[in-house]
Amino acid sequence: MKIIDELNKDAEKNASQIRTFIEEKVKDFKKKGIVVGVSGGIDSAVILALAVQAVGKENVYGLILPETESASSSKELGARLCESLDVSYEEVPITPILQALDIYGKKDQIIKRTCLEYDPNIHKTSLVLPSLLENDMLTIPSISLVKDDEMVAKNRLKAKDYLELIGIQNVKQRSRMLIQYLYAEKNNYLVCGTTNKTEYLLGQFVKYGDGGVDIEPLSDCYKTQVYALADVLGIDKEIIERPPSADTWSSYTSDEDFFWRMPIHIMDQLLYSQEHDLPMEIIEENTELSEETINKAKRGIDKIKSASKYITSGPPICYLDK
Amino acid sequence: MEEIKEDIMAYLQNKSFMDSGTQLNDDDSLTMKGIIDSIGLIEFIDFICEKYSIEIPEELLTPENFDSISGIVNVIQKLTK
Repeated sequence: MKIIDELNKDAEKNASQIRTFIEEKVKDFKKKGIVVGVSGGIDSAVILALAVQAVGKENVYGLILPETESASSSKELGARLCESLDVSYEEVPITPILQALDIYGKKDQIIKRTCLEYDPNIHKTSLVLPSLLENDMLTIPSISLVKDDEMVAKNRLKAKDYLELIGIQNVKQRSRMLIQYLYAEKNNYLVCGTTNKTEYLLGQFVKYGDGGVDIEPLSDCYKTQVYALADVLGIDKEIIERPPSADTWSSYTSDEDFFWRMPIHIMDQLLYSQEHDLPMEIIEENTELSEETINKAKRGIDKIKSASKYITSGPPICYLDK
Repeated sequence: MEEIKEDIMAYLQNKSFMDSGTQLNDDDSLTMKGIIDSIGLIEFIDFICEKYSIEIPEELLTPENFDSISGIVNVIQKLTK
């Protein structure tokens, strides 16, 4: 069997099911439409297109929510997408919220503590983790300094700085959630999530940030399946070809480099093989990786899943004896 | 060597997910036994660097060196020589 073929098939059928899901949920929740945060990435592009087909363009509102460290292409591609689908949209920068909380100042202090040579006027920054496939290294995060598109320094983060940095960075997605609900509640709309199955399984979203939504139409579609949906929906090639990223670091950090730490077609095949309990020889044949590398990658995936268990769980409820 | 081992055991008993009754052999996997998770590992490395005033080179940050008491003791001995 070819795992990639399995993932690429039925894109039209998947699109139809997601359209029905969106339409039904809007009705179930007695809402009048959908708010979508449009990031310039493929997931939100697919959701926006499906939402328009499901409930009509007049019932969909796009929000472009940039901040100082966002790539300029993000809002340009987002605006172009909304215009091509004839969807009403607005650009609401979240930078003032982040400045009010001194997010940029706090982030700079951590980076300066980690990399003494850091100069915000010269360097762009990124958070780096080692590949899950290449070297057998511990998952120790580092800050990298980038000058003229070249990495000029990379230093290990201390635990307390790493934890603070994660909290600081997550304020970005949580600010976007606030704005989306501001607009959704004003219009009696739903907030639509854009988390795909690859991200959902790995806990690759911010709890009460981009995970703070009313519906998640893509959470049963691996990223590979999202690409197949984008093809059948005729999404802008520039959006499809853009490396996926949370876009929260001044040096554009792709999901392949930070979250998946391997090519997405490998990650999806490994996750699919776990889901379907496929034998090792099938995984080796599909991924063209050795058994040793596959086992190393699987251990890495299991650690990510274990570490993100609290992200994917809702608040546990203490049910009383009746 | 025994002193380093005692420091590490004291740290794990106080700062990790290790239960008080856990019997830990020198070669037991700290991650497989659920004693250290990914954040705990970064904290543990910070502790080692501070306690022994050492910097750990990136190439030594491997599971082989940091997943067992014996591996950790070896690294510390190597870097404090």
